[in-house]
Amino acid sequence: MLSFIVRRVFVSALLLLGASFIMYILTALSGDPLEELRGSRDPNRAQLIQLRSDQLNLDVPAPLRYFGWLAGAAKCLIPMADSCDLGVNILNQPVTGLIPMALDSTIQLITGATLLAIVVGITIGIVSALRHNTGFDYSVTFIIFLLFSMPAFWIAVLLKEFLAIGFNDFLAQPVISLPAILGIAVVAGIIWQAMVAGPRRRRVIVFVISGLATTALLVFFNLSDWFRNPGLGAVMIAVSAFGVAVLVTGLIAGFKDRRAMTTALINAGLAVIAYFTLQNLFDMSSWATISILAVATLVVGLASGWLVGGDDRAVSMRIGAITAVLSGGLLLIDRFMQSWALYSADRAIGGRPIATVGSSTPTLDGDIWIMGIDTFTHFLLPTISLTLISLAGYTRYVRSGMLDVLDQDYIRTARAKGLDERTVIVRHAFRNALIPLATLVAADIGAIIGGAIITEQVFAISGMGQLFIRSLSNVDPNPVMAYFVVVSIVALIANLIADLSYAALDPRVRTH
Amino acid sequence: MFISTPHVKRLAMAGAIAGVASLFLAGCTTTDDLETPAESGGTVRIAEVNELSSFNTGTADGNVDINNQLDYFTQGDFFHLDDTASLVYDEGFGTVELLSEDPLSVKYTVNDDVVWSDGESIDADDMLLGWAAQSGYFDDADAEATVGTTYFSPAGSTTGLDQMAFPEVGDDGKSITVTYSGPYADWTLFSPMSVPAHVLAEQAGFEPDGMIAILEAATEGNVDAPVETNADLRAVADFWNNGYATSSLPSDSSLYLSSGPFVVSSWDPAQSVTLSVNDTYTGDLSPVGIDQIVVRFIGDANAQVQALQNGEVDIINPQASADTLSSLEALTGVKVLTGDTGSYDHVDLNFAAGGVFADANVREAFLKTIPREQILDAIIRPLDPEAELLNSQIFFPGVNGYDEATSTNGSDAYDTVDISGATALLAGATPTVRLAYSNANTNRVDAFLAIQASAAEAGFIVVDGGLPADQWGDALALPETWDAFIFGWSTVGAGVLGVPQLFDSASDSNFGGFSDPAADALMDQLLATTDADTQVELQVGVEKALWAGGFGLPMYILPGVIAFGPNVDGIEYSPWQTGPIWNFWDWTMAA
Repeated sequence: MLSFIVRRVFVSALLLLGASFIMYILTALSGDPLEELRGSRDPNRAQLIQLRSDQLNLDVPAPLRYFGWLAGAAKCLIPMADSCDLGVNILNQPVTGLIPMALDSTIQLITGATLLAIVVGITIGIVSALRHNTGFDYSVTFIIFLLFSMPAFWIAVLLKEFLAIGFNDFLAQPVISLPAILGIAVVAGIIWQAMVAGPRRRRVIVFVISGLATTALLVFFNLSDWFRNPGLGAVMIAVSAFGVAVLVTGLIAGFKDRRAMTTALINAGLAVIAYFTLQNLFDMSSWATISILAVATLVVGLASGWLVGGDDRAVSMRIGAITAVLSGGLLLIDRFMQSWALYSADRAIGGRPIATVGSSTPTLDGDIWIMGIDTFTHFLLPTISLTLISLAGYTRYVRSGMLDVLDQDYIRTARAKGLDERTVIVRHAFRNALIPLATLVAADIGAIIGGAIITEQVFAISGMGQLFIRSLSNVDPNPVMAYFVVVSIVALIANLIADLSYAALDPRVRTH
Repeated sequence: MFISTPHVKRLAMAGAIAGVASLFLAGCTTTDDLETPAESGGTVRIAEVNELSSFNTGTADGNVDINNQLDYFTQGDFFHLDDTASLVYDEGFGTVELLSEDPLSVKYTVNDDVVWSDGESIDADDMLLGWAAQSGYFDDADAEATVGTTYFSPAGSTTGLDQMAFPEVGDDGKSITVTYSGPYADWTLFSPMSVPAHVLAEQAGFEPDGMIAILEAATEGNVDAPVETNADLRAVADFWNNGYATSSLPSDSSLYLSSGPFVVSSWDPAQSVTLSVNDTYTGDLSPVGIDQIVVRFIGDANAQVQALQNGEVDIINPQASADTLSSLEALTGVKVLTGDTGSYDHVDLNFAAGGVFADANVREAFLKTIPREQILDAIIRPLDPEAELLNSQIFFPGVNGYDEATSTNGSDAYDTVDISGATALLAGATPTVRLAYSNANTNRVDAFLAIQASAAEAGFIVVDGGLPADQWGDALALPETWDAFIFGWSTVGAGVLGVPQLFDSASDSNFGGFSDPAADALMDQLLATTDADTQVELQVGVEKALWAGGFGLPMYILPGVIAFGPNVDGIEYSPWQTGPIWNFWDWTMAA
């Protein structure tokens, strides 16, 4: 095992060295860094060209210049020396200062989208595997591929037009018209009945119930001016928390496990109590407060499972923790919603909360709730756009993995020995279907650091992708190389971890 | 009822945990009250393509549009350029007095109450530093920089400015007087303002007086007798050259002091810069009712348009394209202004003996075939419907001298394509013309194709000399490889030093080798003329010689577009570097 890792790291280092050389040459030969100066009518055109040539060492041929860069970059390997020298860009800014900022925006932008894509992708994948070759499956496949093949900038423009500008316009008079309500209700009904499936009678019932529920909800939104003053309120919190409790228990332990159900319900009840007692604390919270509350929630969830769990403590603790965290999350969402009206009315927002560019509103100042909403309104569109595009990969992967596993002999064995369907799918099939996903997730972590060139461009979030593409169009090798080194090191590490985790997850795979 | 010990322990533990947790919580809360923002003033938000990169626009690296725009908001100066590239003096900052024309002697006096935003008054020390940085007075390096030292790396040329002797300080340290040893045509464009001297001194490790002493003690550079590098001066110059380049707001606020109506108050890297009112500003260039300027960095043109539509920005200044223009025009409540920029594309001919264009008739015939109107229609009018042909090699439309030049330079002969005239001039010959251009630039590719087709009608065989982006620049300096070249120049609109730079027989940037002794004489005279009207007259003379000699043809000016939303009023278009902000003091918040 150790020799495997050492060998891999050594090969990776050689690979990185070779690739960086090629990358440097390609960048240096991709254009003329003096182009804009050549068009200058200034009397000192020649001096300016000379100055930039000196700054970027253009007199030295690119292959030799690479070694100059390498010598500076090699100093980054000396720990604690603070002698890292990645050169300057065409504007004379040190590259070592550019990377952390770009990395920061990128991680902010893409982490959420990737997590969302994984969670949603897995869910849709599982459902369409369980309902494979039905109308639901075909529709999902169609939509997923449609989104997958849409250009990123196009999705972004549409989202901005309808979700941002359209929604903000809508907020001026936030009432959904009756025909629109009916339309949405019918669509919701169709989706729900397709997901639940089963005999016609059941489908019709699901269609009617979900359609009516949607209509009722939308009418409630209209009447309560919900879009301007959103909130969950005690009733919705209670309903949702207990809903979460039942759902989590049903999925993980089955309804027969009474201790598990008790744990979940206790936690849901605690959440409702917390809703009434914590509001004052929330009002003056900092992020540290919220983190402590989150840890406390987790501890309470685990402790309740441990206390109530009896013989099967592990399951109850897990259920307790999940229910506690999810219903705690509901409280947070509710608290954010309470600040929405205040946020929307701010001078810097001007009643148009959903943003189309940037990662924050300049000049906006406020508590964590206001700033949290600000981050939400800015990252909403880019996150949706990235999620929609990358959904296809996860969905298809999970769907085919799941179908493959469901066909295996041990699944038939599990069914034959009388396990209920929930246990077969959640315990036996689902877990094994996820193993191949480890590779995909690892590759995606490399991609996270690499940024999303087009999405960053369209949403004006200057992350790694922008750093790369701007520097490349300026024929500016130093920032391109810094980008390349950071991204490739992360990708190599991620791949190594993927290989190792694969071996750990699947006993059939051995590393030699 | 029996209570088992484990249960008690568990309860006690839970209680303890709860207690500790609440202690933690109490420590981690915030009691800051929400400050309600002042409702009185107004905020104007501008979208810009590029991000701020330096707080010293005097350096070669720092002299880019976005830095200059921030500088325009935050730095007072003796004058600025308006939308016709004319000088407008700012009496609220100080005065510029021409003491004598021969020898040329100019006195710069800063008003008494003018201060940097840290309270330090602006005085002769600051002007001495600005002079030292821009004049190249101390440099003794030769052209190849093999021996001697170049201290400061200013954005502008030091030629001409290096004729200034060490300035005299007067008026209790509020004025300097500079005297040139020879004539200098662009003296009006020199301002001795740069970064604050007291800050630079401290950053470079000296006392403020100590730095001035260093400047006074240093000897004037002599290219013919270079001396050892002056280490103190080197330290000062190094910080001036490099110390202000940054990619985020420096922790030391003295690096971005203001002397203008606004001061940088925050910079969210890669996102935005916020400017607030500079309380120490005493001049007259503050806009009424605007207390905040936000500059947001949005590279994508379409993103700028949608941000304007969504009310996230008030003024946008995107890269112009037909798509941008049409989507802007579809918006309600948005005003769109189009116009010229300072960049234009042109065809230059190669005058080398033995070349195809050594013959004046062939030159004239070729220029007659260039379909300028057709090219303008195809490339520029979709972006700026009112665009006109550029009819001067020297002046820009709207700039003093353009009308006079275009009415006398004979450019009307090239307004329309004249195939029959060209055919007659060629008298049956079918010359081969190697027409070079950058094939990465679609405008130039289109222009090439149009010229090729049109010239073929008169009998020219135009060979495609398209070059990739990384090669055309070097090819310009190798005139033996081309007969005609399509490329671009960009200009700041003011000043006359650029004229001989392009058209003088001996100049490096006169790539085609155009040579006219009469024009050379006019240009020599131009460099020695300090009077603006005479300068225009001389340039009109040069202009005539260029067109008569068949130097080439200017074709089109690249268009620009700005747009603004319903929140602000008073925005006007300017083709020059400051763009939409050139008259920011006239802006008002719309009711």
